[in-house]
Amino acid sequence: MNNIYMPHLAEIKEIIDESPDTRTFRLRFKDEDTSDSFEFKAGQFAEYSAFGDGESTFCIASSPTRKDFIECSFKVYGKVTQALYRLNKGDTIGIRGPYGNWFPLEDMKGKNLLFIAGGIGIAPVRCVIDNALDLRDDFKDIPIICGARSVSDIIYKQEIKEWKARSDLKTVITVDPGGETKSWDGEVGFVPAVVEKTAPPSDNTAVILCGPPVMIKFTMPVLTKLGFKDEDVYTTLENRMKCGLGKCGRCNIGNVYVCKDGPVFTYAQIKRLPQEF
Amino acid sequence: MMEEKIISRDDLLKICKDVIEKGHTLLSPGIAEYNVVKDVSQIKLDASALPTKTSYKSYVFPKAEPVLYYKRSKSDVQLIDVNVDGKNIIILGAKPCDTNSLNIMKHLFNWDYSDEFFNLREKHFITIGLMCSHYDEYCFCTSIGLSPVSEKGSDIFLIPLDKNNFALRIVTEKGKEFIEPYSEFLNTVDETLSRQVTENVKQPEVAFDCKEVHEWLGSNFENPKWEGIGNICLSCAQCAFVCPVCHCFDIVDEDYSYTEGRRMKNWDGCQFGNFTLHASGHNPRDIQSKRYRQRVNHKFRYYVDKFGEIFCTGCGRCSRGCPVSIDIKEIVSNCKD
Repeated sequence: MNNIYMPHLAEIKEIIDESPDTRTFRLRFKDEDTSDSFEFKAGQFAEYSAFGDGESTFCIASSPTRKDFIECSFKVYGKVTQALYRLNKGDTIGIRGPYGNWFPLEDMKGKNLLFIAGGIGIAPVRCVIDNALDLRDDFKDIPIICGARSVSDIIYKQEIKEWKARSDLKTVITVDPGGETKSWDGEVGFVPAVVEKTAPPSDNTAVILCGPPVMIKFTMPVLTKLGFKDEDVYTTLENRMKCGLGKCGRCNIGNVYVCKDGPVFTYAQIKRLPQEF
Repeated sequence: MMEEKIISRDDLLKICKDVIEKGHTLLSPGIAEYNVVKDVSQIKLDASALPTKTSYKSYVFPKAEPVLYYKRSKSDVQLIDVNVDGKNIIILGAKPCDTNSLNIMKHLFNWDYSDEFFNLREKHFITIGLMCSHYDEYCFCTSIGLSPVSEKGSDIFLIPLDKNNFALRIVTEKGKEFIEPYSEFLNTVDETLSRQVTENVKQPEVAFDCKEVHEWLGSNFENPKWEGIGNICLSCAQCAFVCPVCHCFDIVDEDYSYTEGRRMKNWDGCQFGNFTLHASGHNPRDIQSKRYRQRVNHKFRYYVDKFGEIFCTGCGRCSRGCPVSIDIKEIVSNCKD
């Protein structure tokens, strides 16, 4: 019997402490065949198990072009993320997936890519950034704007360092007012304000925008003002899910199932949905 | 396919006896629920009975079922798969509002990903429907395109001709296969007899037009009516649990020792406040009015848009059992007022 609820087992190969409450797991499937055959696209998600505590939904944070492992990043919030946080290098977790749709990078060829991320929303964005960087010649300018509550809340510090070091990227990091330290040399300000200040050109540009709902809410008008069209802004919805398979019935917004029709939507699509997310 | 025969009650019970002796599960409606028949004298085959309190949904989609077992050692985990035994289940005397339920649920459990837990059980279901000759104020099968004489979802359909005889309609290939070994009990019948019965059966009046409801829901996502209902509803979700088609579930781990446990798929309900609650505390359906709106929309709009079928059988169980007398028929019928 094909059991759609059966996860693959994976070993935690590495744990990266991104911030006081956010961790990244570098994972490798225990079964070699699964490792070889597991394919996904940037933006898809998976169900991660801490056996004994249940499953939780996060995006796959590593790029599909980097095949030896997959990574996920999670912030400690609920029961399952707490259980995952207690695990050590070498321990076993479960992974079901990949599920959902993805950022259509193939349709963005030849365009500028503007990445805007806030908080843990940087996880799905990072996957697309790394993917785009591995196909760098396919895209024109790649500006990146990342925001965090405070300096210690900035995650992917290592990746950001690498992005900043590249001459073919323009990376701006900002922290909320009051979240800066004495030695902070980045921007201070909320993401929407920093977007407005940097004013990236809207011409021939696709935007990948992920972050807390409030950030998206206030960034959208800024983008509109800068000339971006709703159908060029891609974002993700993060509804609660259990199955990831379109069956358990909790992630729907109207007749759209976030787990199957999403999690990636253009802002134009989101505007057409019943406002219940 | 449709073929009609006549069978006496006694012969029907003989078939039931044989079915039980062969080791199949035979279900028949009692008062509260569909019971497993151990002794054929329990079988009532009463077309005038009200629907049981619950449907037989739990026999295809159990209230709680393990989807896997796990064993943890130091840093390793071992997973043990489960198998659904495809045992034949024969339902005898199901109401027409119940017989169509699995057909409706099938879409959900099979779009894109196939849930074999559901499919394997559904495949081994043989549904013998029974005409329904009694309705109460909560019934509305006729409003959603079914009727007390609907054969939809039945493999075999029975129509009581008199106290001791039934017209037996073979509706599907599955039904034919089931009844073939018992052809000695079947006799030819004048089909006008059963037609007379079905034509004269009392039917609940059509209370609303599904297309109109669909349309109304599309333009009334924001409407003070929802708040009104939300203020009454207790969020107990009994409506979902007694519904023959509601399918929402939760997936949770249950440890039964420090090293072992199982992952369960348990019934859940969209009326519960924490159903859509994010870990962050954000909740898209944070108040009851939004949850009730979701329920009605799911039944009469979303499912129709997605799978082309109304997500309801008109059995009225949700309203009959509601502790605060919320009546879905009344709500949809009066939506425009």
